[in-house]
Amino acid sequence: MHSTFLFLIAALPFLGALIPGVTIRAGRTVCAAFALAPTLLALVLLGLLAPSVLAGEVITARIEWLPALGLDASLMLDGLGLLFAGMILGVGALIIIYARFYLSGDDPVGRFYTYLLLFQGAMLGIVLSDNILLMLIFWELTSLSSFLLIGYWTHLPEGRQGARMALTVTGLGGLALLAGGLLLGDIAGSYELSVILTRGEEIRSSALYLPALLLILLGAFTKSAQFPFHFWLPHAMAAPTPVSAYLHSATMVKAGVFLLARLWPVLSGTPEWFYIVATTGLVTMVVGAVIALFKNDLKALLAYSTVSHLGLLTFLLGLGTPFAAVVAVFHIINHLTFKAALFMVAGIVDHETGTRDISRLGGLARLMPVTALIALVAALSMAGLPPFNGFISKEMTLDAAAHAAWQGNGWIIPALTTVAAVFSVAYSLRLFVHVFLGPVREDYPRRPHDPVPGMWAGPALLALLVVLIGLMPSALVGDLVAIAGGAVVKGALPYYSLKLWHGVNPALVLSVIAVIGGVILLWQHGPLLRAWAAARRPEAKAIFDATVAACVAGADRVTRALHGGAISTYLAWFAAFALVLGVLAWAGGAHVPGSRPPLPIPPTVAAGFVLLIVATLGVISVHRTRFLALIMIGVIGLTVSAGFVYLSAPDLALTQISVETVTTLLLLLALNFLPRHTPAESSPAQRLRDAGIAVCAGIGVAALAYAFLTRDFSSISEYHLANSKTGGGGTNVVNVILVDFRGYDTYGEIIVLGIAGLTIYALLMSLLSGAAGRRLRNWRDTTPRSRDRHPMMMVVATRVMMPIAIMVGVYLFLRGHNQPGGGFVAGLVVAIAFLMQYMASGFLWAQERQRIEYHALIGTGVVIAGAAGVGSWLAGRPFLTSSYGYFTIPPIEEFELATAMIFDLGVFLTVLGAVMLMLYSLSRMARVAGETINIEPMDVDPSRRAADGEKEES
Amino acid sequence: MSQLSEVAISALLVISGLFGLVGSWGLVRLRDTLQRLHAPTKATTLGVGGALLASMLYFALTHGQVSFHELMISVFLFITAPVSANFIAKTHMLHHVQPEELPPTGRATGWAGYEAAGQGEGSGN
Repeated sequence: MHSTFLFLIAALPFLGALIPGVTIRAGRTVCAAFALAPTLLALVLLGLLAPSVLAGEVITARIEWLPALGLDASLMLDGLGLLFAGMILGVGALIIIYARFYLSGDDPVGRFYTYLLLFQGAMLGIVLSDNILLMLIFWELTSLSSFLLIGYWTHLPEGRQGARMALTVTGLGGLALLAGGLLLGDIAGSYELSVILTRGEEIRSSALYLPALLLILLGAFTKSAQFPFHFWLPHAMAAPTPVSAYLHSATMVKAGVFLLARLWPVLSGTPEWFYIVATTGLVTMVVGAVIALFKNDLKALLAYSTVSHLGLLTFLLGLGTPFAAVVAVFHIINHLTFKAALFMVAGIVDHETGTRDISRLGGLARLMPVTALIALVAALSMAGLPPFNGFISKEMTLDAAAHAAWQGNGWIIPALTTVAAVFSVAYSLRLFVHVFLGPVREDYPRRPHDPVPGMWAGPALLALLVVLIGLMPSALVGDLVAIAGGAVVKGALPYYSLKLWHGVNPALVLSVIAVIGGVILLWQHGPLLRAWAAARRPEAKAIFDATVAACVAGADRVTRALHGGAISTYLAWFAAFALVLGVLAWAGGAHVPGSRPPLPIPPTVAAGFVLLIVATLGVISVHRTRFLALIMIGVIGLTVSAGFVYLSAPDLALTQISVETVTTLLLLLALNFLPRHTPAESSPAQRLRDAGIAVCAGIGVAALAYAFLTRDFSSISEYHLANSKTGGGGTNVVNVILVDFRGYDTYGEIIVLGIAGLTIYALLMSLLSGAAGRRLRNWRDTTPRSRDRHPMMMVVATRVMMPIAIMVGVYLFLRGHNQPGGGFVAGLVVAIAFLMQYMASGFLWAQERQRIEYHALIGTGVVIAGAAGVGSWLAGRPFLTSSYGYFTIPPIEEFELATAMIFDLGVFLTVLGAVMLMLYSLSRMARVAGETINIEPMDVDPSRRAADGEKEES
Repeated sequence: MSQLSEVAISALLVISGLFGLVGSWGLVRLRDTLQRLHAPTKATTLGVGGALLASMLYFALTHGQVSFHELMISVFLFITAPVSANFIAKTHMLHHVQPEELPPTGRATGWAGYEAAGQGEGSGN
C-alpha cells in the first residue's frame, strides 16, 4: 500500500504535466486548477505516509528496470525525503496559485504549467530516488525542465541566454555527478542509496574516495550555485518570478544541498570534505552577501542572497559535525519560508509598479500595506532578527561556527560568518527600507496597490509560518527536524534545542555585532554603492560567454579539419584512422598464416573478377564524366549480384539487383542537376595522398579477407541454419534472420532508412529555399531536349508492366519467409514499378494519381513493424519474438501465417515510402529548375492526333 | 534424358550462344550508333530467348516440371528491349540528326521529338 502511494507521488506530477496543454482552452483558472490537482493529491498522499515516516519508518518501493546496469526504479522515503518532498509539493501548490494571477493572458500559460509540473516531478524524483542512477536521471531532468522554465519568455534575449547558461553549468555539473555516482556505486558495490549509506567506512578509505568526492561536489556546487559557479543563478532571474520563487528559493538550487545532506553519512568527516565543502560554503556565503547589498534589481538582490544562504547551508554541512547538519536541516525550512515569500513579494512589486529597480522604488508601505507587512516579516527573518525563525537558525549557525577551527585557527570561521551576517542584515533591511519606506513617489511606472488576494495569499501563508516557527519551533517543526536530521546524520542526534532564547552566549554577541554592523552599512549605503560601482570587478557573464565562444571556436576548428564538407576529406580521415588501428592491431598480435588450402579458381569466377577489376579501373579513369562513371558503377553492382547468384545467395542477388536499379535511377535524376563533368579541384599532391590511403586501405581489407578465407572459423551461421525452421518457422534463413533472429536490427535499420528519406526531403527543402535554390531557378539547361520526353512506347509498356511488377512484388513478399524474397525486396520491386510510371509520364502526372503520402507510408511502416514487435509482449514474450502457425482454408492448400509477416509488411512499407520520398524530393528540384508539368500521360498521342487530323480534313 | 532432348537443348544453347556472340561482335564492329543498335537487340531477344527455351525444355524433359518463369522473362524482355532501343535511337537522332535531314512524314504530324505535340508540319503552318 505504502509503496504504491510512493510510486503515485512520484508519477503524479508527470501525469499531471500532460493535462494543462488541453485545459488551457478552458481558461487560465481551469488550467491552474488542473495543475493544482495532481500537486495537492500528491501532497495528500505524502501526508498519509508522513506519520509512518515520522515514526521512524523508511518506506521503499522498487521495480526492476535494467538490472544488468544496476539501475532499478526504486524509491525511498525517509525523513530527509519527506522534508524535501513536502517543500517541493507545498511550495509548488502555492506557486501554481500565484502564477495564475502573475502571468498575463498573453503568456502561453498551459505550457508554463506543463513545464512546472515536469520540473516538480523531476525534483520529487531526485529526493525520492533510492537508486543513485535513477536520481541522476531526475537530476538531468531538472536541468532540462528548468532550462524550459527559465527561458519561458522566449522573446526575451536575457531569458534565453540565462536559460542556456543555467543549462550549461548545471548540465556540466550533472555529467561530473554522473561520473562521481558511478565511482561511488563502484566502491560501494551497489547503486542503491540504502546500501551505499551503510558503507561509509569503505568509501572513505577507498583510493577512489577523493575523485568520487570531487566529481560529486562539482555536481552539487554547480546545482546549488556555489562559488565560483554562482554566476548562473542571478542570470536565471530573467525567468518569470513564480519560476524564480520556486526553482531558486525552494527546490532546484536546494538539490545540491540535498545531495550533500543525502551523502553526508558516507562522504563527510574527512579533512578533504571539511576543507573543500566548508571553505566553498564560507566563501560563497560572504561573496553572495556582499554582492547582494549592491544590487539594485530586486530579484538580483534576492538571487545573491540565495547564493549566500546556499553557501551557509553548504558550510554547515561541510563542518561535518552532527549539530551543524541538524542546523542545516532547520535552516533549509526557514530559508524556504522567508525566501519564497520574498520572491513572491518581489514579483508582486514588479507586477504592480512595473519595475524591480530599487532606486526607482520607495514608499510602497502606504500604497501596498499587506505586501509591505509580508515583506517586513520575511525580511526581518532573513536578517536574523527575533522573534522570527531566521533568528533561531542564525543563532545556531553562529554557535556552530564559533566552535569551528580552520587549520587550527579558531577565529577565522566565526569572523567570516559574522561578516556574512553583517551584510545579510544590511541587504535584508535595505530590501524593506528602500522599497517600502520613505516618501511616496510620483514616478512609478504604474499606480501600485495591493494585488488580488490570490496573489498575496501564498506569501502571506509563508510569512505566517515564519512567525509561527519563530515563536514555537519545537511544536511546529521539531519532529520534522529531528527525523530529517536523523536521516542526515544516520545515528544519534546531537543535543540541540529549538528555541528563541538561549541566554547570553558567543552566538548572541556575534548576532548583535551583525545587526549593528548591518545598520551602519545600510546607513552608509549611498557612498558604498558609488565605491562598489567604481571598483573593477570580473564580469561573470563576459567570462562565461568568452569561454563558450572559445569552446565553440575550438570545436569548429576541429570539425572543419575533420569534416570540411568535402567527402574526400571524410573518407581520407576515416580510412586512414581505420588503417592506423589495423596496423596497430597487426603489430600488437602474433600472426599465423591460415591453414586452409586455397581452392582452384574456376574460369567463371576469374571472368567475374576481371570484370570487377576492369570496371573499377574504369570508374577511376572516367570518374570526371559522371554519367559514364555511373554506368561503370552499374557494371560493378551487377557483377556483384552475379557473384551472389553463383555463391547460392539468391536473396542477396535479388536485393542487390533491385537496389542497384533504384539507386541508378535516383542517381540519374540527381545527376541531371550537376555539371556533366567533375572539375579537378584537388592538387596532384592531394590526389597522390588520397590514392596512397586508398591503396593501403584496399590492401588492408584484401589481406583481412584473405586471412579469414584461409582459415576455418565457426560463426553463428550454423545456429541460424539449424534453428530457422524450428524457431522462426521459415525455411529461408536469410529472411528469418532479418525478421526474427536479428529482427531488432532490422527494426533499427528501417527506422534509419525512413529517417534518411525524411532527411533528404528536409535537406532539399531548406536547400531549395537558399542560395542553391536561387541558382537552380536561374539555371538554363543548354543540352537539347527532346520534345517527346514521354514517348508512347514507354508509357504503354510501363502501364502494361505495372500490375505484373506489383504482382511480382506481392509474390516475393508472400513467399519471403520460405523462399528468396521478403519485405525489403518486395518494397524495392514495387518502388521500381512506381518509378517506371514516374519516368514514363513525368512526376507530377503520376503524383496526381496516387493518394498516399510517402511520409505517412514511412511512419505507418515503422509503426506496423513496432506493433508486430510489441504484440509479442501480449503473449508474455520478449520484444519481436515471432510466432507462427499453419492454417487451412479450403480450397487453398495449407499455408503458414507468421507474426514475422506483419513485421515484414512494416519493412515493405518503410522501404517503399523512403524510396518514393527520395524520388519526390528530386522531382521538387526538377520543378524548381523549370521542368514543365505535363497534363497528358504522353507527349505524342497517335490516337488523338488521328482524331485531330480527321477533324481537320472534314 | 533421351538423346533427342539432349540434342534439342544443346542446339538451343548453341544458337543462343552464337547470337550472343554475334551481338557482341556487332557492338564492337558496327560504325555508328544507329547501326550498332541492331546488334544488342538481336542478342537480347534471340540469344537470351534461346537460353530460356533451353531452360524450359531442360526442366520439362528431365525434371518433369513445366516452368513458366522463363516465359515471364521473355515477355519482359520483349517489352523492354524495344523501349530501350527506341530511347537510344531517339537520343541519337536528337543529338546528331537535324530536322531538315529527315524525309517528310507524309502525314499531318511531324517527327516525334522534334516538335511539340500538336504542332505538326501539316497542322499548324
